[in-house]
Amino acid sequence: MGSTTRLAALVQMEFFRFWRLLRQTIVPPVLNTLLFILIFGFSLGSRIKEIHGFPFIVYIIPGLTAMGVMNNAFSNTSTSLHMAKFDRSLDNLLAAPLKPFEMVLALVTGGIARGLLIAILTLAVALPLLKQPLFSFWLTLYFVVMQSVFFGCWGIIGALRAKTWDNLATTQTFVITPLAYLAGVFYSVTILPPPWREISLFNPLFYMVDGTRYGVLGVHDAPLWISAGMITGLAILLFAVCVWLFQIGYKMVR
Amino acid sequence: MNAITIEGIEKSYGKTVQALKGITLNIPQGEFFGLLGPNGAGKTTLISAIVGLVKPNAGEIRVMGCDIRKNPTEAKKYIGLSPQDININNYMPIGKIMEFQGGFYGVSVKESRRRAEELLKYFKLWDKRKAGRYQLSGGMQRRLMIARALMGKPKILILDEPTAGIDVELRHELWTFLKQLKEKGITILLTTHYIEEAERLCEKIGIIHQGKIIACESPLKLIEQHRLHEKAERSGAFQFVRSGSLEEVFVALTGRPIEEASKKSGEEKWEALPASLL
Repeated sequence: MGSTTRLAALVQMEFFRFWRLLRQTIVPPVLNTLLFILIFGFSLGSRIKEIHGFPFIVYIIPGLTAMGVMNNAFSNTSTSLHMAKFDRSLDNLLAAPLKPFEMVLALVTGGIARGLLIAILTLAVALPLLKQPLFSFWLTLYFVVMQSVFFGCWGIIGALRAKTWDNLATTQTFVITPLAYLAGVFYSVTILPPPWREISLFNPLFYMVDGTRYGVLGVHDAPLWISAGMITGLAILLFAVCVWLFQIGYKMVR
Repeated sequence: MNAITIEGIEKSYGKTVQALKGITLNIPQGEFFGLLGPNGAGKTTLISAIVGLVKPNAGEIRVMGCDIRKNPTEAKKYIGLSPQDININNYMPIGKIMEFQGGFYGVSVKESRRRAEELLKYFKLWDKRKAGRYQLSGGMQRRLMIARALMGKPKILILDEPTAGIDVELRHELWTFLKQLKEKGITILLTTHYIEEAERLCEKIGIIHQGKIIACESPLKLIEQHRLHEKAERSGAFQFVRSGSLEEVFVALTGRPIEEASKKSGEEKWEALPASLL
């Protein structure tokens, strides 16, 4: 009972934060994705032939959705934790009878909620272009949730390590965004010449984009079990690392 | 059972600063205990160690019998903390801050709302429940921190310099409130460098100086013990303090008045800064 109440309070606090700042947390990323669809899909896409039997504009929708989920899950947890460090309200949480697992789970749940909301809004707006229902609702949901967990945890680690807001922005600009672009958001890795095709397989974000694409369209570049295994394994690993960091009080306890 | 048991706590920051030098202290349940010392004496470090925000290099701390390092969740259930530095969430209305705080301590939503209303009304903050931190004055923020510390129905209330920066009238109101809490059986650990505050409120006082507890007794006993020096040492720092006061005890033990010691510690920090910037 006590544990449930504690976790519920933490989760509500996370939801409250991003819901209160809706114009900053939800509207811009959805608008951003729509601009991608308009620019790359409509204007440039008409000059590109079909990929895996889908028009270019349709092919990029799952990738853009995945990219939105990744960026927003990362932003949500990293901003929340970094702000708590900045205004020292993190000390209040650390002095309360909260378990490391509860704190990490609440932060990650906030990331999942924001990631899911971005995915739902993006797919809802893009649905008229798809002209078909989702290939698999459950697989799409699974990949969106797992990506959110992975990037939510990455956001936690980033916020714990970061001394300034610049440190966080650097991770997003110079690591996450390039890796996402190179993960096959706008193309199929099967069209890449060697060795780029092989190099792409070392990018974990490729499996997240590919899995989401399978859920939405039913096409994929890598075997589904590898994508699912990769993202599940990485999400569990990073979650465990986060709980451990909270347990030892990494950069929190002096 | 003691509310707080501290055994041989040591804490160093880096190789040069030894903040706590083997502190041992027992605070029985229901006691109003004051930790008196100048700025930089180690009061905040000791309190942070009690709530698990500082990891000691050696020693043991037990809260209601629970080891804070081995069983932190259980130990923290008993504590309500109002720290010296304002640590209020920047983006949340204070009504929500209070409600969530109750939740962190396992208090149900309904009960949290009721308690938040009661405490906010008591601390004259109810009209500000939808306001954020920056819409509150310094005194209001300090009151909010104390109200928030009480949300989890603590058995032990730890107040680190709770009256720093608040006006005299409010300080006196707070003293009355703390006395009422003590009457209800809550153990209170108060740190302060206001002699009068410690003298008026505390049943027992620990004087902390340079990371060590140099005296630990009731105010009356402390004064009694150090009255012996009164006539012989009525010169130097003694000529500036009230005879038969805790302040006199402080001078007898440390060689200077508490205000001066606090200022000195500030000066040391100020002087050290440019060197570290070079």
